[in-house]
Amino acid sequence: MAASVREKQTVALKRMLNFNAPPLKNTAAEPVWKVLIYDRFGQDIISPLLSVKELRDMGITLHLLLHSDRDPIPDVPAIYFVMPTEENIDRICQDLRNQLYESYYLNFISAISRSKLEDIASAALAANAVSQVTKVFDQYLNFITLEDDMFILCHQNKELISYHAINRPDIQDTDMDAIMDTIVDSLFCFFVTLGAVPIIRCPRGNAAEMVAVKLDKKLRENLRDARNSLFTGDSMAAGQFSFQRPLFVLADRNVDMATPLHHTWTYQALIHDVLDFHLNRVMMEEGAGAEPSPAGARPKKKSRKTYDLTAADKFWQKHKGSPFPEVAESVQEELDTYRAQEDEVKRLKSIMGLEGEDEGAISMLSDNTAKLTSAVSSLPELLEKKRLIDLHTNVATAVLDHIKSRKLDVYFEYEEKLMSKSTLDKSLLDIISDPDAGTPEDKMRLFLIYYITTQQAPTESDLEQYKKALLDAGCDLSPLTYIKQWKAFTKMASTPANYGNSGVKPMGLFSRVMNTGSQFVMEGVKNLVLKQHVSETESADWSSVTSQETDDYRYFDPKMLRGSESSIPRNKNPFQEAIVFVVGGGNYIEYQNLVDYTKSKQGKKVVYGCSELFNSAQFIKQVRAADCSDMMLL
Amino acid sequence: MAVDRTLLFKASVKTVKTRNKAIGIGFDSTKDEIFKRTRPKSGFSPKAKEVITNITKLKDFLLQHRKDYVSAGSLISSDLTRMTDSERDQIDQDAQIFMRTCSEAIKQLRNEAEKKVTSSQIKEHRGAVLDLIEMYLKGVCKLYSEQRAIRVKRMVDKKRLSRLAPEHHSQVEKTRAIEPTEEKAVKEESSEKSTSEVLDNTVEHLWEEGRVEDELSPEEIQMVCYLRQHCCHGTFHPFPFFLPVRQIEGKVVEISRLQEIFAEKVLQQETEIDSIHQLVVGATENVKEGNEDIREAIKNNAGFRVWILFFLVMCSFSLLFLDWYDS
Repeated sequence: MAASVREKQTVALKRMLNFNAPPLKNTAAEPVWKVLIYDRFGQDIISPLLSVKELRDMGITLHLLLHSDRDPIPDVPAIYFVMPTEENIDRICQDLRNQLYESYYLNFISAISRSKLEDIASAALAANAVSQVTKVFDQYLNFITLEDDMFILCHQNKELISYHAINRPDIQDTDMDAIMDTIVDSLFCFFVTLGAVPIIRCPRGNAAEMVAVKLDKKLRENLRDARNSLFTGDSMAAGQFSFQRPLFVLADRNVDMATPLHHTWTYQALIHDVLDFHLNRVMMEEGAGAEPSPAGARPKKKSRKTYDLTAADKFWQKHKGSPFPEVAESVQEELDTYRAQEDEVKRLKSIMGLEGEDEGAISMLSDNTAKLTSAVSSLPELLEKKRLIDLHTNVATAVLDHIKSRKLDVYFEYEEKLMSKSTLDKSLLDIISDPDAGTPEDKMRLFLIYYITTQQAPTESDLEQYKKALLDAGCDLSPLTYIKQWKAFTKMASTPANYGNSGVKPMGLFSRVMNTGSQFVMEGVKNLVLKQHVSETESADWSSVTSQETDDYRYFDPKMLRGSESSIPRNKNPFQEAIVFVVGGGNYIEYQNLVDYTKSKQGKKVVYGCSELFNSAQFIKQVRAADCSDMMLL
Repeated sequence: MAVDRTLLFKASVKTVKTRNKAIGIGFDSTKDEIFKRTRPKSGFSPKAKEVITNITKLKDFLLQHRKDYVSAGSLISSDLTRMTDSERDQIDQDAQIFMRTCSEAIKQLRNEAEKKVTSSQIKEHRGAVLDLIEMYLKGVCKLYSEQRAIRVKRMVDKKRLSRLAPEHHSQVEKTRAIEPTEEKAVKEESSEKSTSEVLDNTVEHLWEEGRVEDELSPEEIQMVCYLRQHCCHGTFHPFPFFLPVRQIEGKVVEISRLQEIFAEKVLQQETEIDSIHQLVVGATENVKEGNEDIREAIKNNAGFRVWILFFLVMCSFSLLFLDWYDS
């Protein structure tokens, strides 16, 4: 696909905002103003893709939440972008009755059912507003694209499809069905926006398989209905999906529990782990903090700052996957270049001041005129650059503070060694009982990773020792019990092609690329080497691409006429595109690994998706909750 | 990829209608619709739409006559397609007047909208609508100024090519020409507010350059005659004179561009400075009031102390009195 998912979704959104007509290229077109109304789902979808300025340029004068108090603005068309839930429909009917706007363009994020459509129809009739409801569209945009090649399913209500919800032991079949339906609906929207019918591979025996079965069924039904099929629109390039179909690999979170707990060292993953980072927006507290306030004066308020890390930020795009010392260096370099340019401009200013009165200085003036023109026209760029440098300096400083106080570099190094089974220079017990290395949560994570990745289970006495040390450090031991069960479970279900133990099997995939860390302002922090760590999800993807060792994986092709359960992978041309989806949650570490991996393979594109995005703290909370609700299996 | 469900919606409307008829619920739909037709004709939005249609008319007009306006006017082309200079001047003037009226209308609408404030959402909406209209007007003004700039540049070119002035002379004249016109333009800008008028100024500045050239021509014509006398013997090489002339042209164009940018920036800063001024005035008021309050508080404090002292003295005197009275 030539355009990435993000571009496709942006194009779809822009079309919707242009009253569902393709936007004209005419630059000096007449402005048409409109009001945009969305619910929280719509807000989450739009906010990483379009900024407020872009909305304004498209003529949106106001953007409001559906369930807020809205005043009637009687001569303006309104564009609604909401999910077709009961409350939203009720609110829309209420708006129709109150005659808030002149005309209504209703866009539903996923398909609306016939009965709800009739509800709206009856409300419109009751309010005599049928002519005002100008258009009703199903947009099929029920997923959030965060990066060019990364998407998540939802951000609001994500507890409904979280890891905890899927894996808790007291789950009912009906609940599971509901969760699966939500996931499949979003994935279906994703494929409709992509405009391609994928080939689905999934492992057997877990949530991923259920999702694959349902998705296959849904795609098949839609394709069969040739009249209304969503995949044969004339807006899509005809030959686009007939040559190359993407490969859709489903994976379950239970395959690899160590990666979400891992301490990271790349910029984006660190920000997600350490700071408050949602939907490409970082929220930080900035304030004096440590200074004691003078007596009698009000304490200095800590201001919350939010920063948007967008696609237009070139520094971010370049460095979001770099190891942290590199990022720090680059920020310094950018700052130096910026200062040099600023000095140039200042120097020009002084030159102009001197030579303005000189009569015979025309020739020198001309060069400076050209320079001045270029300086002045580049001034807005320079200001923007400064803003970005400030942003990244603040963010990087905050991250660095966390690293220093919690000694995250030590943890990272140790965990890398654990996961790659090399020799350990410090015993685990030492680190756990070290009082100023990290929060109790960090220690718990470290221990869990150790537990997951050891080949043989530690002896009882060792375990007791560790437990005692952990309790001394103040950790809560409930995640440990859950992980114990998980390990037992995966061992039980192990088959030759099982991925529970694939951390051990090399499969020729562990490539170690040594990137030396840099010397920059990290005094006291060890200069770490970053090895490219290939996680299990990647190995799943790679092997399915080359179709080795995954004969055990099920194979679905929704375009085949017979819905057979054949698990024979057809030997087609090797796939050029793959979409990896983790059911149960993913994080930036896996995304980064996939990006690095794709860079090393020429010509292949991989898109990463997950049902929700969590960092280690949230994951541990879910695991803890999963354990607390489970009394019986112990 | 979006799926249009409007037809389905209309079908559902019909279903609901028939269902309602079957149940027996009727609606006086016709009467209400007639009532709806008599919407207020003179609201904010119709006026705004009017301004937009006017600006669109201007844009169409400019685009329509653009080709003729900009045409180089070679000797071969027929007279029908060529525009005389007076026609071009007419177009310029009309366009300027039009742009001025449009920006006046926008300002008026803005003031009205401020006054008839009903709710914050409507205020925000109207502000944004006016911003959009202003941007549209700016775009159309840019069209106009581009056209104008091309025309003036061509005229300046023509005048230079038709003259065979020595470089030094024209350079000196050029400096003298640039400085007064720039100062004049800057002074004029500091007293004006609307963008379209600034654009007019920039363009007028270019135009004035041309006029200044006209005033200098008598002297230069003398030089030309002198040169012609000297040079008609041998081959006449105009080349050494043209090169610095071209350089100066380039410089002039760049300077005019710079000046436009500066003018825009100065205007932006002016609005900001105004708002800062307001804030500073407010702040000084607040500080003054604060001082007053502090003074009063000090006075009250002092007064309070005086009363306390008085009370204590009175108490001690009364005690002494009682003591004396008793003994």
